[in-house]
Amino acid sequence: MDNESPLKAIIVVAATALVCSILVTAAAVSLQPIQQAYQDLERNRILVRISGAGDAVDEMSDRQVIAAFQNLDARLVDLDRGVFDETYNPNTFDARKAAAPQQFTVVIPDDQDVAGLGRRSSLVTVYLVQEGDELQRVILPVYGQGMWSTLYGFIAIENDLNTIADMTIYGQEETPGIGDRILRPDWQARWRGRKLYDEQSVFRFRISQGDIEPDSPAAVYQVDGLTGATVTINGLMNVMRYWFGPHGFATFLKNFSTTGGS
Amino acid sequence: MVRIRQALLTPLIDENPVTFQILGICSAVAITTSLYSALVMSLALTSVLAYSNVTISLMRRHLPRSVRIIVQMTVIASGVIVVDEFLQAFAPETARTLSVFVGQIVTNCIVLGRAESFAAHNRVGISFLDGIGNGMGFSLILITVAIIRELFGTGSLMQVEIFKPVIDGGWFEPNALALLPPSAFFIIGFIIWGVRSWKPKQVERSDFQPLTDHEMGHE
Repeated sequence: MDNESPLKAIIVVAATALVCSILVTAAAVSLQPIQQAYQDLERNRILVRISGAGDAVDEMSDRQVIAAFQNLDARLVDLDRGVFDETYNPNTFDARKAAAPQQFTVVIPDDQDVAGLGRRSSLVTVYLVQEGDELQRVILPVYGQGMWSTLYGFIAIENDLNTIADMTIYGQEETPGIGDRILRPDWQARWRGRKLYDEQSVFRFRISQGDIEPDSPAAVYQVDGLTGATVTINGLMNVMRYWFGPHGFATFLKNFSTTGGS
Repeated sequence: MVRIRQALLTPLIDENPVTFQILGICSAVAITTSLYSALVMSLALTSVLAYSNVTISLMRRHLPRSVRIIVQMTVIASGVIVVDEFLQAFAPETARTLSVFVGQIVTNCIVLGRAESFAAHNRVGISFLDGIGNGMGFSLILITVAIIRELFGTGSLMQVEIFKPVIDGGWFEPNALALLPPSAFFIIGFIIWGVRSWKPKQVERSDFQPLTDHEMGHE
């Protein structure tokens, strides 16, 4: 066939597209499990860091990270009832992969949906950090709308179930150099020791956009904001407001502090 | 034998894609702040180059002129995606820091340049070697630049401390300029200067000769 005929051109282009797409698909599908394993490992590393290991996690080998992760006590929490759920395996539970995903879907009422989520799973995996029989920290996953992207993070709270022990953001696509300063370790460190609720169990935590008076009684609930990153910060504040509000972990935390979650 | 040696060795110095043909500068500037990423990038580009040269050489008799560039781009792009998938599986952290630059191999002029000027007219074996040779030529410059930048910018190589920085009680004051993109231009510029002083044959004739004072009518 004449190399320059239109038919030949179409055949060559179609054949190239077909072969190349098979090649790309084969690579993507066959490598996916390995990529997933690394993502899981990365997530475990984040959890181990926030569970109290801190920067020491950078010195840990992959095996040590996995061992430390396995020491964490993963639990499923039924958010609406505020209790642990024992029906499913917390390490493998994924509402999206369940046989009937809609049975785990909770539509968030508009007036409660401050973080712009729309819906959430009824069961959420949390991690208890224990030393011997004593509870050290509880690690809670949070997420919600930032400026451009969904912010994903973990909040670790002390065993008083009120004081922030540590926080981390592990997924975001905010403006580089402005909104993404929420990733800065020195800023995240300011969260440590802040309190979420007051004595009357009212959610008082704020990311302040003005000066904090260190002597005022409110200071213990406040974290300094980031100048210029107002929308991202407001997003993060709403994430906190939702997840530590009545539709988020508040019921569970209250329950857990009085009955140990049973 | 001669052709094999030629295909492998001329791209190292005599026809180096970066210093002689001035191609692939963007990635040479972007990722040479650390030796490790330069090595990964070198490996990625060399494999894409070898793969695209082989594939395009295989199809060279069936490549209609009217659609050849887009077909070559498709081949190159698929190779780049496969390399990127491999990086994400086996070097995920590097893949994250290199992310857009690995994708940019698609538009790296060296790859399309070799496909168009060599693989499209030559047999498979020699095209493969040409791909490897040009990949090595690119790698040579990339690695040289990265060694200079990482060593003078941080005092270490591959995270191993060579010069003890002042901050840690040593004597070495890291040069922040070495970590900024312009320094890669300076270093590549010095390399080009050096190579062309050594091999004056590489110096191009200038396109434009400024007029002398006399020709302009000045005394």
